[in-house]
Amino acid sequence: MTLYIPPLNLGMVINSSSDNKEVIYRSGFPQPLNYPYIEETLNLKTIIYIGSEKTVTDEYKKFIEKNGYSFKVFEMSSVRDNDIHLKIKQIFELILNKENYPILIHSNKGKHRIGVITGLIRKVLLGWSISGIYQEYGIYTGNIKGEMDLEFINNFDFGDMNVDFDIDLLPSYLNYL
Amino acid sequence: MNILITGNKIIPPINFCPVEHQLYRSGQPSPLNFPFLSTLNLKCIVWLSNEDPEDSFLEYCDLNNITIQFSAINPDFGEDDNPWDGLNEKSIASALTTLLDKQNYPLLVCCGMGRHRTGTVIGCLRRIMNWNLASCSEEYRRFTGSRGGRILVELLIEGFNRDSIEFDKLLLPHFILSSIQEK
Repeated sequence: MTLYIPPLNLGMVINSSSDNKEVIYRSGFPQPLNYPYIEETLNLKTIIYIGSEKTVTDEYKKFIEKNGYSFKVFEMSSVRDNDIHLKIKQIFELILNKENYPILIHSNKGKHRIGVITGLIRKVLLGWSISGIYQEYGIYTGNIKGEMDLEFINNFDFGDMNVDFDIDLLPSYLNYL
Repeated sequence: MNILITGNKIIPPINFCPVEHQLYRSGQPSPLNFPFLSTLNLKCIVWLSNEDPEDSFLEYCDLNNITIQFSAINPDFGEDDNPWDGLNEKSIASALTTLLDKQNYPLLVCCGMGRHRTGTVIGCLRRIMNWNLASCSEEYRRFTGSRGGRILVELLIEGFNRDSIEFDKLLLPHFILSSIQEK
């Protein structure tokens, strides 16, 4: 029996729902040797890639098509991007719809950009303390090169931007009601 | 008197991280983390240190009907058991038996800092899930901080014999089931 090779820096962000539908995974860019693990065990519906359209290989496109995943690319290089708030709003709109789950969010290495998105989910949706967010960010990045990202998470605010969601489609881990 | 004002923020325990569906890992939770733990609706906690946890933690589990399993506290060893020793085959097997029974979930695996002992058990769980050794080690090292991984822990994960663990297939959590099916 062959052994599985999960994608680099694979981890879980949300794993609490009782039916195991509402799951968010995070990882680095899946390589062909990771495909068996993804298609046989993760049972995904949506893949969100935070990076550049240019780096999506034909192989990866074929893999996504074969498994019928819904694939979304958000062009983003770092938190210094100009339209970063708009991108994050669009990512949140996907996350706030339970019909998109289970979700895999990945960047190239699964460290910094994903660390920011995870941090914002923890901060904005789940109300974690900043120290807890920093610690999780540090686990995946090995505590290097993160000052800019951490400052960004700390100061983040949607401001007057409206994040659209349907209250009936909110995932169940957001039990505000 | 409360000297820490945390508002309504929730504070996860040190080295906290979700591992698999309804399975979590962390270091020893302190009273500061109890509101957070309550959001996880835990049923069972696997405690991997060979010293007893703090009284406040035991009280919290008692109040919330959480079973604590003391996998590494070995009555036979007595005073020869040192807190800096790692896990042994017996304690790993005892912890894994709990992890392989879905009736114990939602479940938290923890030790003092959530690094080496917790890492050993999660590493062996990944071996059961058919992960290759490099990925198991990579995950273990992620949590070990700036001093890096310990060779003894990695040896334990590498030397772990999957066939030594007995389980009831009907009680396996589905994330293990889906990774051990013959394709």
